[in-house]
Amino acid sequence: MASGSKFNSTTRLAYLFLLPAFLVMGLVVFYPFVYNVVVSFSNMNLTHFRDWEITGFGNYLQVFADNSFWYFFFKTVLWTVLNLVFHVGIGVFLALILNKNIKGKSIYRTLLILPWAVPQYITALTWRGMFNAEYGAVNLFLNDLFGIEIAWLSSEWGAFTACLITNIWLGFPFMMVIALGGLQSIPDSLYEAADIDGASPWQKFRQITLPMLKPVMVPAIVLGVIWTFNNFNVVWLVSNGGEPSETTHILVSWVYRAAFFYYRMGYAAAFSMIIFLILFIFSWRFILKTGATENVYG
Amino acid sequence: MNKNAIVNSILRFIILITFLSLFPGCQGESPKRILVWSTLRPVEREFLAEKLAEFGKRYPDYEFKELYYQPEELRPNYMISALAGKGPAVIHMASDNIGPLAELEVIMPLEDHFEPAFLDSFLTEPFSANTRHNGHLYQLADRIGNHLALVYNKDYVTEAPETIDDLIALGNADWAQDNDGDGKADRYVVAWNFIEPFFVVPFLGLYDGWIMDEQNRPTLNTSAMSNACQLIYDLANKHRIIPRECDYETANAMFLDGKSAMIINGPWSWGTYIKRGMNIGLARIPRNAETGSWASPIVSPLGYMLNVNLEGEELAISKELVRFLTSPSVQLESSKRFNLIPSRTELFDHPDLSEDPLYQAAIDQMLVGRAMPVVTELRWIWDAMRPAYQGIFTGTYTAEDAAAEMQKLAEKLIRENRQ
Repeated sequence: MASGSKFNSTTRLAYLFLLPAFLVMGLVVFYPFVYNVVVSFSNMNLTHFRDWEITGFGNYLQVFADNSFWYFFFKTVLWTVLNLVFHVGIGVFLALILNKNIKGKSIYRTLLILPWAVPQYITALTWRGMFNAEYGAVNLFLNDLFGIEIAWLSSEWGAFTACLITNIWLGFPFMMVIALGGLQSIPDSLYEAADIDGASPWQKFRQITLPMLKPVMVPAIVLGVIWTFNNFNVVWLVSNGGEPSETTHILVSWVYRAAFFYYRMGYAAAFSMIIFLILFIFSWRFILKTGATENVYG
Repeated sequence: MNKNAIVNSILRFIILITFLSLFPGCQGESPKRILVWSTLRPVEREFLAEKLAEFGKRYPDYEFKELYYQPEELRPNYMISALAGKGPAVIHMASDNIGPLAELEVIMPLEDHFEPAFLDSFLTEPFSANTRHNGHLYQLADRIGNHLALVYNKDYVTEAPETIDDLIALGNADWAQDNDGDGKADRYVVAWNFIEPFFVVPFLGLYDGWIMDEQNRPTLNTSAMSNACQLIYDLANKHRIIPRECDYETANAMFLDGKSAMIINGPWSWGTYIKRGMNIGLARIPRNAETGSWASPIVSPLGYMLNVNLEGEELAISKELVRFLTSPSVQLESSKRFNLIPSRTELFDHPDLSEDPLYQAAIDQMLVGRAMPVVTELRWIWDAMRPAYQGIFTGTYTAEDAAAEMQKLAEKLIRENRQ
């Protein structure tokens, strides 16, 4: 029966429109992905770049046996969690303020989106300049106010904090915009009913605002985790490629160094597959657990 | 038409458009283009663009463009694009990249593309201009040297320090003190990108050390290395005559703004200082008063390499372009404008150049330098030096421990890549 077939005339049109996207995705995503999987089982490096061969699970074992992996994994998790806490915290806080009837709201909104509008490259390099120990604006400011000077870029945790501050600056506007959209879709009648029931501002926030924000914020947080976990640009540019002493890396920047500085292609491919699996399992479990795709009214 | 026929027509149309878009030849005539990727600084890129425009008049059907990359970006980007059968026709960079590029077979051996008489017109003494690797010629130079030297601002320093002790004494002079009471020196005597291994190597010369032996094995765990590292650490933290944090851009900005009286920098920067109207002089990086040994910067040619994927008309034009860009007339112009040391024998003692004190000083510094080894292992040695060396400044290692760590990592990287 035609109507029971998956390829009836209606669905065929839908598949038809999807076809170009599938072809392009196949070329730019699926093929490189499969190629990366194959390379991850090979001995491809500078010496065996053209005559590489499959060598088995050696690269994966090497990744797990390498202390660098566990160290940078810890740093990546810390980097992601801290960034997300600040992105969401600052973003939702500012969205709550901007959702009120305050004067000059559109000016504040524009100003707060500015960090997002400036290219990451420029922001990262500008912040790097500002973190210079002797001539950077941050230390000049700290010195004038508190008489302290921090070795931002020449100490391991100083450089990590410098990257973190830069990425918080870059990341909160996205969460703010998403949260603001979510807040504006919450019907006023819910708050009016809560007022009649004598609810406090905190109770209204916990019982109305937070649950109603959840459907928009959870996908944004999942995206935020993936982007932050893989945020190569900020870490690489602010720390000048992992300085000091190759300690300021997250997993992706370390993979880049292994591949394009040390030319260990097989090892880097295995490393990147592990990063992919970490993010895949996290996203899958997180979405399932939070029910992010479920209807809030359902 | 019924609904199925409409759907089928749309399906055919989408498939046709999708497949046509996959074939560039069906999108109309794309412009013919010869692209040159370089690591040149802005003032020299302007010059290269001028020369490409001049050469372009010979081939009006072609577009000639230059594109800038940082040295550490050009190499991997070029590798990726050339391995995919694409990439620029010509690349211009330092000769230390030849090892990995030649091993990957992404640059073209040139010995069969240029006649011996032409190749013989390039310098072989005091340093060889054109670069060979495993018996093949891969690079035609448009300059030699590319070495670090001490650049001093004559408004602050009338005579460059000859020894490290003189440098320290100069750093303790009145004008370099904290006269405004803000807790840091008003002007440092010298600033340079001392966190990068390339900028550390000259100081090995003070203790007669070097980074590898004749079998291309790393020689980093030596007293020369630990002494050189300790000296730089002391200049920053004991004598406090150089800034504590200083990358390339910071050092350059400090010199340009008069916040440092001197800088250790290469010829790629000298043109900018002159263009800014700074009253600069060049001198050797100071020597060790005890041993008498001079600091020995790395000397390497800079020049053009051809993409291995070139063929037919594009190859012929690219070869002609390289011949033009390395010609005596172009080199004389660039050497005069940017104080470069030309690669053609007939220009080395050219009166227009040799009477210039900056040119003389650049050659004087070059004569105590050491030729850049053109081996792939060098790539891993640079990468192995960085972490442990920087660890001295974070307090992770002593200079002796850092030297041992560098050696260990260099051997590991070489072993992993040669497996």
